[in-house]
Amino acid sequence: MTKLTRRRFGVLAGIGATTLAMPAYLRAQGAAPRVVIIGGGAGGATAARYIARDSEGAIDVTLINDADRYTSCFFSNLYLGGFRDFASITHDYATLESQYGITKVTGLAASVDREAMTVTMADGATLPYDRLIVAPGIDLIYDAIEGYSEEAAQIAPHSWKAGAQTQLLHDKLNALEDGQNIVMVAPPNPYRCPPGPYERVSMFAHVLKSKGFTNSTITILDPKPRFSKQGLFTEGWARHYPGMIDWLGADIIDEVGAVDVNAGVVETGFGAFEGALLNIIPPQKAGAIAAQAGLTDDSGFCPIDANSMRSTIDENIFVIGDASIAGAMPKSGFSANSQAKVAALNVRGDLTDARVFPARYANTCWSLIETNDGVKVGAQYAVEDGVIASTSSFISETGESDELRKETYEESLGWYAGITADMFGTSA
Amino acid sequence: MAGCFGVVAVISPVSSSAVLADAAAAEEPTAAQDAAEAILQIEGDIAYGQFLASECLTCHQESGATDGIPAIVGIAKDYFVLAVVEYQTNVRDSDVMRVQVASLGGEEIAALAAYLGTLDPK
Ligand SMILES: Cc1cc2nc3c(=O)[nH]c(=O)nc-3n(C[C@H](O)[C@H](O)[C@H](O)COP(=O)(O)OP(=O)(O)OC[C@H]3O[C@@H](n4cnc5c(N)ncnc54)[C@H](O)[C@@H]3O)c2cc1C
Repeated sequence: MTKLTRRRFGVLAGIGATTLAMPAYLRAQGAAPRVVIIGGGAGGATAARYIARDSEGAIDVTLINDADRYTSCFFSNLYLGGFRDFASITHDYATLESQYGITKVTGLAASVDREAMTVTMADGATLPYDRLIVAPGIDLIYDAIEGYSEEAAQIAPHSWKAGAQTQLLHDKLNALEDGQNIVMVAPPNPYRCPPGPYERVSMFAHVLKSKGFTNSTITILDPKPRFSKQGLFTEGWARHYPGMIDWLGADIIDEVGAVDVNAGVVETGFGAFEGALLNIIPPQKAGAIAAQAGLTDDSGFCPIDANSMRSTIDENIFVIGDASIAGAMPKSGFSANSQAKVAALNVRGDLTDARVFPARYANTCWSLIETNDGVKVGAQYAVEDGVIASTSSFISETGESDELRKETYEESLGWYAGITADMFGTSA
Repeated sequence: MAGCFGVVAVISPVSSSAVLADAAAAEEPTAAQDAAEAILQIEGDIAYGQFLASECLTCHQESGATDGIPAIVGIAKDYFVLAVVEYQTNVRDSDVMRVQVASLGGEEIAALAAYLGTLDPK
């Protein structure tokens, strides 16, 4: 704590001791109010750090994550492409524990009792909360694709949750021989990281091209009629990987049918496609705990109040990140990090007398197409008519100079260093 | 101008600030400098700045470390305020920053400057 204490007092001197105040009923009990956070990813880790940092010890923060390390999906495509190593996208919670006083619980949160305001862990331990933040990310709807399952994902990985799946896809990609083909099944909306599948295909192509595998092709079977940054990717693929990548959208394939992972075959309305490597990315829903807690609606995701990220179903619970329905914001690490800060402020407003300010949100998604050819799309958001709406935005343009594309890529490296420092409290 | 102040350019804020000040002494102040001067007169609300700054700290590290994105911790207040105004008025060229600062008024910029001034680079 020592390092933090010094800075905490610096901040404290500036804003006065008011944030240390807490409601009288809690002071009377002599206990700090408890915040429990389920999910130690882009949303949950950020929320934990900001609540701990800014409440200066007035709130007791417990962060639950099912693993003791977090491998980010963001930049996992760059790992597939050979631009990053696995260690560089894997982070631990040591600084959050040692310098921010956050209690890290490693294990699966199995259920939430909203009446009793407790979280029960898979091992039976029970954690009471005054406010709960639910940030479990997504779960995959395996059975939406006939023939696909969690077991089948060992042969045809989705790699849409990072970790062992990402390494499996990396190994399978690197085991391909010239002339062997890749088939990706892209997910329908809404899913995490709209440009993600297309950045991933770019990384596949980069690896094949680097090895001189000119006889291998990549086919994307897409249940959508169009996709994020389509013009930019299409231009980049034609430029860097001519003839290698085929994107077949809903207009052509109609729908994705059954998958046979052992035979390496995907059926569609436009015939069957065969690949030595299948990357199947199924439809998605909020992480299972969100539905267990009764926080989801028919969409499978969680409705929230745009002003605070508070669940519209339970006022003691906030839902952030991919699990939430966040209006115009895409499901991204950047979005989850941004939403975490709004939720953290509102949690502090609930439990201490911290002032709450109008919500504002931001997102930028960078994608790498080929070495030093980065593109980006981003926006700023505010609450309009009760929903999170984009107030200004930008997207890279086709035909940009090589210099600008390189700058964009380098900016993305800075962003990754920044957001992971912001989540885990580490400094580079 | 835009090129040398691009987001990824590695610059020394303190010395750049001094250069700008010299330039300002020699020439008429620009519209951005006038606007920045007015903002510097506003007393920033630190608690508000703490929330607003959380958005910046996604990319600009709280420790002041730079990895391709310049630091906003430990830099001169007048430099910071002028930079924000210059992104708002397209004197500085960056898509990301233009969008990020678009909705900041004088009160917000002053609040940010006040809060960031409480942080020490590590
Ligand atoms: C290939 C790919 C590339 C991407 N690239 C980018 C990018 O460049 N930029 C970007 O901004 N975003 C990117 N994303 C999206 C980004 O990864 C997600 O949007 C982001 O991680 C969402 O954050 P989250 O906090 O909602 O969930 P997560 O980051 O997934 O964190 C949730 C955590 O909670 C844990 N958990 C879930 N349920 C429980 C439970 N019951 N008990 C305990 N722990 C639990 C999970 O294991 C996980 O560790 C990418 C995604 C993919 C798949």
